[in-house]
This record gives sequence, C-alpha cells and structure tokens, in this order.
Amino acid sequence: MITIYKSKNDIPRDLEYIELNDIFFNQNTVVKLDERAREIIERIDESKWLSKYKIESKFNGTALDIDCLSTGCKTVLNILYFPDKVFCIKECGDNALEILYYLNGGSVYSDYAMIPFDMKAVQVREGKSIRIIADYEELKGWWANEK
Amino acid sequence: MKSKPIVMEHFSTVHTSFIVNFEFTNNITILTGVSAAGKTASFSFIKENTAINPNIVCLNYLDYQKDIKDVLVHTEGKLIVIDNADILLDDEVRKYISMDGNNQYLIIGRNPKNLFATKENLFELVSKKKGEITEFQIRPYL
Repeated sequence: MITIYKSKNDIPRDLEYIELNDIFFNQNTVVKLDERAREIIERIDESKWLSKYKIESKFNGTALDIDCLSTGCKTVLNILYFPDKVFCIKECGDNALEILYYLNGGSVYSDYAMIPFDMKAVQVREGKSIRIIADYEELKGWWANEK
Repeated sequence: MKSKPIVMEHFSTVHTSFIVNFEFTNNITILTGVSAAGKTASFSFIKENTAINPNIVCLNYLDYQKDIKDVLVHTEGKLIVIDNADILLDDEVRKYISMDGNNQYLIIGRNPKNLFATKENLFELVSKKKGEITEFQIRPYL
C-alpha cells in the first residue's frame, strides 16, 4: 500500500522529496518504463503507448513524444518506478488518484486531502505515528487534523 | 468571488487541428478537472499565442525558480495564465491574486485555497470533435 505524508517535516531524511513530477519523469522515469506502464497510460490518459518514447494522442491519433503525458499520469508512474522517493500528488486528477491509491507501494505528499472516492487502505505517517486507514471519511479527517 | 473579467471576456487561438475557444465570466477562472483533459495542451497553445498577443502572460513549472509574486506585482492589464498552479502558488501569492484589480487570471489547478473562490470561479475543460478538428472550451465545474 502507499504511504502518505501531510507534512514535509515528517518525510525521513533518507527519502528524497520530488515536487516537480514532470521534470522527474522526463529525466528519470521514462527510461525505466516497461509493460506495467501500458495499462496506467491507457487508463489515466486514454492514450496508447506506442514505443518507449512515443504515445498516441487520444484527441487526434497522432504520435506524440511521451513527455506529453498528463502530469497526473507521470506522477503515478514516478511513484510506481521509484518507491524509494516521496512524490507530490497535488497535480493528480481523480482518475490518476484512483490508480495511485491501488499501487502496492510508494510514498506521496500533500498538505491537503487528495482522496479518490474509490480508495484502498493506505498508510499515513505523522510524526512518529503510523496508521493504516481504509475509510474515505477517516482519511479526510486525518488530513484535516480531526481527532 | 464574483467579479467581471477586466482584460478579456473571450479568447481564441488555433494550433494546427486544435482550437482553443474560451469564454470568461469571472476575473479569476480556475480550470480544474481530471488528468489528461487537455489543460496543459491548451496552456501550450495559449503560450504560443503570446508571441503575437501582448495581452497575455503565461507561467508554469518552468518558472519555478522565479519570484512569482514579483512577476505579478510588475504586471498590469494582462490575462495571466498559470499552469501547475498547485505547486507554483503559495498562500501569499494566492491572496495577492484574489485582491489584484489590475490583471485577470486563468489558473490551471485543483486547489482553490486562499483565492476566495466560489463555484462561479470553477470551470472544467471540455473537448469537442468536429471532423479532424478538436475544440477546447470551458464550462462551469459541477
């Protein structure tokens, strides 16, 4: 399951935090893409993955450089291929969040709630506290500092 | 927050088979919605148009190292289009934007915090196919 931080101060020092998902994807993740990326690209961006560096535009069918993927899709792929880093998820739409919450691992950060309606259990970390939350309202409450 | 657009009520541009055709009803338009709707593509077409349209200023993650508030303070009479707003705009800049009476804003992002936004500020992108042409419009976000 994914791990969520709501304060940058809680991110362990040995975990690098990445805020600019577009640049990180273009410079690092793209070379690691394998078949696992195909379904994610199709489900979030409704685009076909043509080759390592090409996708097919959902709008007009033309071949585009893979840097044209949405930031939400790039963020999910960053998390999938770099579970040892923490990624900002503030630029993810609901369609990206729905996939993101079902990843088997990886760490994410947002200081406000970013929750899809269809969510799976996640691990949340605040200070030394680690909890597992599987309920939408409970997770929303955690983000809002409700006791 | 309800306030009439002070720079332009309509913007349109063409990029090959794509048309951007936006009607603005508010001075701050927050363009939100799912990933891959075409928001950043629309941004790139608007940015291309700045080469021939002096009334528009575009900012995105490539401006991450800039002092965004300083850029806004020294801008007057423009439509300021901001992509990647959720990582580019801090609380101070958001409050400045909400009070800025000199510029109009199109903000592409999901967090309306400190922009004093109401549902009248929230819009989503819709694309319409006409043959090989794809037209992007904005409509109120439900």
